[in-house]
Amino acid sequence: MTSTGPASSAAMRDVHGFALALDRSYQPATHMWVKLTAPGRVRIGIDPLGVETSGTLAQLSLPAAGTNLTAGRPFGEMEAVKFVGPLSSPVSGTVRAVNSAAADNPGLVERDPFGDGWLIEAELADPADLDALIADPEEITTWYAAKIAEYRLSGAIAE
Amino acid sequence: MGLPVSDVLRVIDFGRVTPLRSQTLWHAVAYGVSGGEPATLSFARPSAPYVCLGYLRDAAEVDHEYCASHGLPVYRRMVGGGPVYLDDRQLFFQICIPAGDVSPSRRDALRSLLEPAVSAFRVLGVDARLDDNGEICRDDAKICGHGAGQIEDAVVVCGNLIEAFDHQRAARVLALTDPVQRAETLRLMRRYVASTPVDPGAFRAALIDSFSGALGLRAESGVLSPAELKSVHKLDRRFVTAEWLAGPDRTAPTVSTGRQVKVRAGIWTFAVQASSGASVVASVVRERLDRVVLTAPGMNSQAEAAACALAGMPVSAAADVLSRFGESGTELAAALARAEGRLP
Repeated sequence: MTSTGPASSAAMRDVHGFALALDRSYQPATHMWVKLTAPGRVRIGIDPLGVETSGTLAQLSLPAAGTNLTAGRPFGEMEAVKFVGPLSSPVSGTVRAVNSAAADNPGLVERDPFGDGWLIEAELADPADLDALIADPEEITTWYAAKIAEYRLSGAIAE
Repeated sequence: MGLPVSDVLRVIDFGRVTPLRSQTLWHAVAYGVSGGEPATLSFARPSAPYVCLGYLRDAAEVDHEYCASHGLPVYRRMVGGGPVYLDDRQLFFQICIPAGDVSPSRRDALRSLLEPAVSAFRVLGVDARLDDNGEICRDDAKICGHGAGQIEDAVVVCGNLIEAFDHQRAARVLALTDPVQRAETLRLMRRYVASTPVDPGAFRAALIDSFSGALGLRAESGVLSPAELKSVHKLDRRFVTAEWLAGPDRTAPTVSTGRQVKVRAGIWTFAVQASSGASVVASVVRERLDRVVLTAPGMNSQAEAAACALAGMPVSAAADVLSRFGESGTELAAALARAEGRLP
């Protein structure tokens, strides 16, 4: 059976001070993660680097259950440091559940981005969408480490 | 093949425009830049006062009855920040550039697009700085209201030169049921939001120099494209609808969140009532309770003493004092903690 909860400690890795869950897939350009929770069904969230580079989250706007998702298109918005930006969907499908606790309290996304701070659950329109994401633990780790180095070099995150 | 890379910073001064147009014009520019128009610095001054709400904020934060009875339109903008009172003593500026040209870190992108504005203030002899919260301030006071957002493939940062500020009205347009909170909000606004009475023409010129230098672009006076003009008319219609003002769908809070007003980063007021009828109204200045009014039915003397004890205390330590009031106190403390955690 596929786990629907947060990553187990065995699936977690610390990469240069940032937590990384290896039991899910990532869309590198958006820092969104996708975790298969049942056949054809996924949970979607944002990774700690995406959170860190946004600043303190003040508002989250998430879609209602039943909303259609299109890969690469916004499914909601988040506001941090008075900056409103889109949350881009890594997959196409239909929203089946929304994390209202996170919408109520965006701080939850900052505190536990891989666990209680998930954003939505969706039914995939095409499971092949997952093939466009990176899922191999080594590949994920390499990408994550490179992004941390890049963000540190540019001053986007602290040393 | 990608779009040609422009080395031009288009500068458009819309001059004095209606309140509606003071919003829709620059939104149209954002759609234009997203569609391939060059980076643009625009200016506008509203011809009359109005109220403007950040994209994700609850429309109920504004006292619509007061606004309607005083002829103040209310519009929702597509960038962040709270509800603000705007009038013709404020010169608005907007810098809009392709999203791909800014840092992927939103915090960084915002800082890099506010720093040229700080430089412009400094050219005019104003001792402005960008504080740790990314706000343009002089001493302790915020001197420029800003908001930012990504509109399709363009990033826009809006700000203003506040030549004079009507604190009284800025506090009055907010929906606040508690008179103590309203008075405290006004007190903190007077203390922490300041005007900068410099020559707006000189500020505009300094801003053009500063942004063109920072972005490495050649400033060139421009006008809206036909497509942008079409967008303006479309936005004019959209922005006055009840649906637009209501904003994106929001999930109703599942817990009592109280009423919180942010005056500037780190400076806010808060009012909440527990189910027992006990209530707290607090002003917070940099994580410390500045002033507190606590009411607890049947425990008035203890409440007064507790309010005195709370003043000056870190918000994070309030739970210890409030716990003396049993479940009500715990409820109030939890609401206060949530309010603190939610704020940038």
